[in-house]
Amino acid sequence: MAIEEAPSELSNEEMQFLAQVLDAIIPPDEDGGSPGAGEVGLGDILQQKSPALVPVLKQGLTALSREMESRQLVDFGALSPNEKCSLLERIGGQHPDFFPGLLFPVYANYYQQPRVLKTLGLEARTPYPLGYDLESGDLDLLDPVRNRPPFYRRC
Amino acid sequence: MSEETADVVIVGAGAAAAAFAWSLAETRMKIVCLEQGGWMNPSEYPSSQEGWELRGFGDFGLSPNSRGRSEDYPVNDSESPIAISNFNAVGGSTILYAAHFPRLHPSDFRTRSLDGVGEDWPIDYTTLEPYYDENALMMGVAGLAGDPAYPPKELPLPPVPLGRLGETLGRGFNQLGWHWWPSDSAIATVEHRGRAPCINLGPCLTGCAQGAKGSTDVTYWPEAVRRGVELRTHCRVREITMDENDMADGVVYYDADGVERRQKAEIVVVACNGVGTPRLLLNSRSANFPNGVANRSGLVGRNLMFHPYAMVQGVFDEPLDGYKGPMGCCIMSHEFYETDPARDFVRGYSFEITRGMGPVSTAISGISSGNISWGPDHHRTYASQFNRITGMVVICEDLPELENRVSLDSNLTDSNGIPAPKIHYRLSENSERMLEHAVARGKEVLVAAGARETSAQAPLPFAGWHLMGTARMGVDPEQSVVNEWGRSHDVKNLFIIDGSIFVTSGAVNPTNTIQALSLYIADQMKQRLDNLFD
Ligand SMILES: Cc1cc2nc3c(=O)[nH]c(=O)nc-3n(C[C@H](O)[C@H](O)[C@H](O)COP(=O)(O)OP(=O)(O)OC[C@H]3O[C@@H](n4cnc5c(N)ncnc54)[C@H](O)[C@@H]3O)c2cc1C
Repeated sequence: MAIEEAPSELSNEEMQFLAQVLDAIIPPDEDGGSPGAGEVGLGDILQQKSPALVPVLKQGLTALSREMESRQLVDFGALSPNEKCSLLERIGGQHPDFFPGLLFPVYANYYQQPRVLKTLGLEARTPYPLGYDLESGDLDLLDPVRNRPPFYRRC
Repeated sequence: MSEETADVVIVGAGAAAAAFAWSLAETRMKIVCLEQGGWMNPSEYPSSQEGWELRGFGDFGLSPNSRGRSEDYPVNDSESPIAISNFNAVGGSTILYAAHFPRLHPSDFRTRSLDGVGEDWPIDYTTLEPYYDENALMMGVAGLAGDPAYPPKELPLPPVPLGRLGETLGRGFNQLGWHWWPSDSAIATVEHRGRAPCINLGPCLTGCAQGAKGSTDVTYWPEAVRRGVELRTHCRVREITMDENDMADGVVYYDADGVERRQKAEIVVVACNGVGTPRLLLNSRSANFPNGVANRSGLVGRNLMFHPYAMVQGVFDEPLDGYKGPMGCCIMSHEFYETDPARDFVRGYSFEITRGMGPVSTAISGISSGNISWGPDHHRTYASQFNRITGMVVICEDLPELENRVSLDSNLTDSNGIPAPKIHYRLSENSERMLEHAVARGKEVLVAAGARETSAQAPLPFAGWHLMGTARMGVDPEQSVVNEWGRSHDVKNLFIIDGSIFVTSGAVNPTNTIQALSLYIADQMKQRLDNLFD
C-alpha cells in the first residue's frame, strides 16, 4: 500500500485563510500603526521556520472551515471580531495544538518583525554590537541608607 | 595519549576550578584540568543573532535535560519541586549566570551558634575576606562602598547603572525605610584587564557577547592557561581511581571521540559543582570505598541546598527601560537577611531586583500570566505590559537537611553510559514560611514604588542554579566530607573546591564565596606543600 506523504506546504488558498486567522489573533491596530499578524507575512514565516507546524495548521484550518460551514458562514475575514474569537475558541476544544497552540509561535515571531518593533519605539536590531545607553541614575537616593548604622550581625 | 602523571588533575572547568587553577599555577606544578564541555564562542551568543530572545528556551536554556547539547549530562530532578539549572563548558555555569556577586555575611558562618540551626563553618568571614578581595580584582567586580549591610569592603569597579528602573525601585524601598544598595556584580562596568565594558545588552543569561560579564572563560582561564595550566576540553571524567593505600592515583575519562583514557595524578581536585561533584564521588567505587570515594561519613550527596527562589513582579504605568542593562544586576536589599525572633522562620532572605523583558519575552509571558489578550484587545493589553514590568527575585536561605540529597539514578545515564544524578528535595516548612513572608514584602515594595498590579511565583520551579552542601567541610570526619581547607577526611590527596563544601547556604548567590573558598584552599595547599598529605 502506498503511504501518502503529508504535504509540506500550505496551498495558496490555505495561506490566505491562515492570514485571516492570524489577523484575528493579532489584528491591525489602526491607532498605533501596528500591522496585523497576517498582514505582516507571518504565515510564510511560520511555514518556513517550523515545517512541523504545517500539518497542525492544515488540520486546524480544515476544522475551522467545517465549523464555518456548519454555521453557514462563508468569509472568515468578513466576520465580526467576536464571531472570529468564538470560532477559534470552539476549534480549540478539539485542536489545542492549532489554537491556543498557535499563540506562542505567533507572538514569538510577530514581535521580531522590524515593522512591529518600530511601532514599539525600538530599533530593529539585535542588542549586540551596539548595546544601549542607560543612565547611571541618582546615587543620592541612597542617602537614607548611607545614614543608617551598620546592621549586619557581628560575630 | 601520554600517560604522564600530572601533579594535579582538576575535574571541571567552571567558577571554582578557574580560580583555583590560576592560583595554584604559581607553584609551576603540572596542572591538568579535564572539562566535559568546550570553549564557547561569544560571537555566537544569542544577543548577536536574530531570534535572540528565543534561544534562552532552546540551546541556551537553563535545564541540561531540555537543552540537548552533547556536553550536557541528564539529571533526574523529577522528585524535586526545583529543577536543576547549569551549563557545561569552559566557564561552567558562569556562562549563563547573572553575575550577581555578593559576599556571604559574617553571620552565615555561625548559624548554629547564633540561631541554633545548620552548622557553624570551620572558617569565618575574616578567613575569606582577603580572597573575596583578590577575586574582586580577577573577576572584575562592580559595586559601591559603604553598604551598611556588610563589613566595610572596597570594590574595584563603579556600580552597574541604576537606570530608571533602579531609581523607581530605590524610591519604593526608601518610602518603606528599607535597606537597598546597588548590586555587587561581576560585570566590567569600565574596561578591566582587557575586557570590554558592559554596553547594557540585556540578556546576560544567554552568555555575554561583549565579554563584559565575568564568566571564567574570559576572566581566570586565559590567565591560568598563560601560567601553564593544561585545559583539556571534551573530556568527561567517569571515576576517580584509588591505590592500595587509600590515596587517589588519577581519573578515568572519555575523550571527545568517546575513547576511554586515564590521567594519573599526585593530587585530584574535584570542581564539578554541587550536583556533578557528588555524582562523580558516588560513581567512584572501589573495594575500600564501596559507597563512593571520600564517603565514609555517608554524607556525600546529603544536605543538598538550593536557595528557594520566588519571583515577585509589578506592572507600572511608566516605561522603565527594563530591557536594557544587565538583567540580574541592578539593586538588592538585605533588609530581611538576618534572623528576627518576631518572625515565624529562622534566618532570612535577600531581594535581587531584576530588570525587565524584551518584546518577545513580554508577549510570551503574557500568554501564561493571562495579562495579554489575543484578538481585538491585543495591542492595548500588550502596550500596558511591554517595558512596564519589573520586579525582583527572592533568595531564601536553605538549611541543610540530610534527606535533601543527590544520589545516582539506577537507569538514567549520560551519552558515555555514566550513571546520572538523581535529586531528592523537598521544601522545608521554614523555607515555605520564609517565601510567604518575602512575597508579601516584595509586593509591598513594588506598590510603594508605584506598581499598579503585582504577581508572584513561589517557589520558582526552574531556579535550581545554586548547588551547595553535598560534600560539606568541617573538622569532624563523622559530620563532614572535607576538612577546613578542602581536603577529604578519608583520602589525603583528594580535594573538593566547589559549592559542595558549603556548610550552610546564606541567602545570597554563592559564586563569589565558591571562588574565595577555592582561592583560600589553593593558598592552604601552597603553604602546606611539604606536608600536604600528613
Ligand atoms: C542561569 C544561572 C544563573 C546564575 N546566576 C548566578 C548569579 O547571578 N550569581 C551567582 O553567584 N551564581 C549564579 N549562578 C550559579 C553559578 O553559575 C554557580 O554557582 C557557579 O558556576 C558554580 O561554580 P562551580 O565551579 O562549582 O560549577 P560550574 O560552574 O557549574 O562548573 C562545573 C564544571 O564541571 C564540569 N563537569 C561536571 N562533571 C564533569 C565530569 N564528570 N567530567 C568533566 N567535567 C565535568 C561541567 O561541565 C562544568 O563546566 C547561576 C547559574 C545559572 C545556571
